[in-house]
Amino acid sequence: MAVSLKRPFTATVSAAVRSTHTSLSLPASCRCFSVLNRPPPNYEGHIPLTRVERLGLAAGSGLLSFLDPRRGDLIAAFGEATAQPYFIYKLRDRMLLNPTGRRILRDRPRLTSTSLAIPRLRQLPSNTLGYAYAAWLDREGVSPDTRAHVRYIDDEECAYVMQRYRECHDFYHALVGLPVFREGEVALKAFEYANTGLPMTGLAVFSALTLKKAEWRRFWDIYGPWAIRNGTKTDDVINIYWEEELETDINELRARIGIEKPPDLRTIRKAARDKKKQEKEGREHAAASAV
Amino acid sequence: MPPRLPVIAHWACPSTPATRVSIFSFRRCASSSATSPEIYDVVCVGGGPAGLSLLTGLRNSPITSGLKVALIDGQDLQKSRLPKDASLGSFSNRCSSLTPASVRNLQEIGAWKHANASRIQPYQEMQVWDGVSDARISFDWDTARPLLTPRKPSQPTTIAYMIENVNTTSALLGRLEELGGVATFSSTKVESIELGKDAEDLDLSSWPILTLSNGKTLAARLLVGADGANSPVRSFAGIESRGWDYGRHGVVASLKLEGPGRGGAEHKIAYQRFLPTGPIAMLPLPGNMSTLVWSTTPERAAKLKSLSPNDFIAMVNAGFRLSTADLEYLHSIPSGQAEEIAWRGKHTPINEAQIPTNVVEVQAGTVANFPLKMRHADTYTGERVALVGDAAHTIHPLAGQGLNQGQGDAAALVKTIEHAVTTGQDIGSLLALEQYNSDRYAENNAMLGVVDKLHRLYAVESGPIVGLRSLGLRAVDAMGPLKGFFMNRAAGGA
Repeated sequence: MAVSLKRPFTATVSAAVRSTHTSLSLPASCRCFSVLNRPPPNYEGHIPLTRVERLGLAAGSGLLSFLDPRRGDLIAAFGEATAQPYFIYKLRDRMLLNPTGRRILRDRPRLTSTSLAIPRLRQLPSNTLGYAYAAWLDREGVSPDTRAHVRYIDDEECAYVMQRYRECHDFYHALVGLPVFREGEVALKAFEYANTGLPMTGLAVFSALTLKKAEWRRFWDIYGPWAIRNGTKTDDVINIYWEEELETDINELRARIGIEKPPDLRTIRKAARDKKKQEKEGREHAAASAV
Repeated sequence: MPPRLPVIAHWACPSTPATRVSIFSFRRCASSSATSPEIYDVVCVGGGPAGLSLLTGLRNSPITSGLKVALIDGQDLQKSRLPKDASLGSFSNRCSSLTPASVRNLQEIGAWKHANASRIQPYQEMQVWDGVSDARISFDWDTARPLLTPRKPSQPTTIAYMIENVNTTSALLGRLEELGGVATFSSTKVESIELGKDAEDLDLSSWPILTLSNGKTLAARLLVGADGANSPVRSFAGIESRGWDYGRHGVVASLKLEGPGRGGAEHKIAYQRFLPTGPIAMLPLPGNMSTLVWSTTPERAAKLKSLSPNDFIAMVNAGFRLSTADLEYLHSIPSGQAEEIAWRGKHTPINEAQIPTNVVEVQAGTVANFPLKMRHADTYTGERVALVGDAAHTIHPLAGQGLNQGQGDAAALVKTIEHAVTTGQDIGSLLALEQYNSDRYAENNAMLGVVDKLHRLYAVESGPIVGLRSLGLRAVDAMGPLKGFFMNRAAGGA
């Protein structure tokens, strides 16, 4: 499946589609077809949707992923259903305006545990991006191979952009050092929204409403403002050729794109937990001595 | 208004006058004195299409053919004529689209048959689209007919005629030569224009006196400024010209395409794509040739001019095909556009049937650029002064109307002068010229306004305006009669 978005194949498919069905060269929003008469896919794994289907998919996957944020597949579908029209094209245009972004679109690299050679990354000096990424994967217990394939984006190049965004998500985590549980994820999504403009990331910030009171306060006071400030002022993170930056000093990379590392969430949480525990112990101690 | 020189005229030229007005002109009598200027009825400064069309019209009309007319041009008019044996493999980069109304006028004054017909390309269809949203409108007389009317095979199918400006001027000069009777001062500059003096025997105080670089002085009953956008005649008359610069340049070039075009040699198509920086247009010439007019920012124009022929060709092809984001990037790299564009072509959905065929060659030395402006003179007439063509107005080239407006001016001024001569008025008086101003000013102003608004509308890159303009364009495209109305306006009335 990893080769599904490689250029030669899709180029031939889309060329064939173009020559036989002129209606397909219209923008997706102009297309008319029914469930019974679905056009051929624009790339391997593509599922063309009608507008009603797209709306339904967005609503359903949005609601369900709000209720259960651990459903990565639903979040992925929600992201694809809401990115089109407009937003994913805008993100692609921002890649096209940047020399590195263009190179990524030309090479179409895929991020997998094999393409990245994770064990090699662990051998790198500790100040490098590669090491930080491997360390982050180990600390959070995740793998880059868990990313779903893009299916609902109509343009094959934009589908690659979506795939790239999705696969790079873990690098954003490593870059800013935010963990995968809800609080960290919400902060990172806010950052991504300010940086990429994809609607799913913005809508995902609403799950901050489900945060616990202390988490909500931290988001409001620290991580939210950090995300907006950094997301808008840093260069587009989609235009970072991560594969080429693995041996770069992570602080140098942060300085180059102009991002500040937020306070370590795990440390803050641990401190808060310890404090609470101490208070509790103190109370218990006081209660015991009172007795 | 009574003529001002009746007594002197009778004294000077008692011979039988050819027309009523020539009674009052001095023939050669007045020039016998070295100090007094040679007197003409009409002196036209500028031998461009508008000025030549005016003089041809005057010489051609039996009513005005008796007027004593002069033409002054700073360039050598013979040199700017099309060589008889010009090859059809190369074309001048300055081409214009002549509307049916302009062609009709050229036919009426007998100039059209002098044009080199093999270098004129009529076109039957026009494809115009939005570079941001791809909304499209197509123009052809068949789809633009009024509701429920049957298709008329006799209806002309030509939208306009592509012709090199040099072919137009050659045709007019050829016709003028045939008609004769124009005192031509070629390669002669106008050194100064000032009002004459009230001498004892001759009151020239309201007459413009032109001093030429060859030492001659001419007095003009009517001085016509056909001397371009920086018209000295307009400055002499104290007429302000208002407007603005677009901050855009027009890049022109003569191009060779893969073939005769999608419709074949019999059905030629003109293309125009509106990009946020300005429209790019490809207009058909005979055979496989085409002419390019690309309105763009001065920086991008300079970049395009600096490219190698190969990259330039690729950029023109990209201008009709690729996204605005791609074009922005392609203008920012120093070279290698061709390779970059070949890659982007694979990932950009393109409907080849709706865009011009690929450019394969750019004619050497034809890539040039010029700044785009909007200017309109406050009035076209003054005491003994009339302005025609670019001296009166300068327009954005996006609708191909500039040269046609000048032809319209010339035809209207001929008509006004004819009327003045028939009714015995002084052809230089403001009163006699008023009709010309009222015939042309409002019409030109409307065209200038519409074209200026179109430029502004399509300069918007994103947001709700893009959606609205696309909706509007598609709506007009779907409404045949409305489209027919716009086509009639663009064709010069009728």
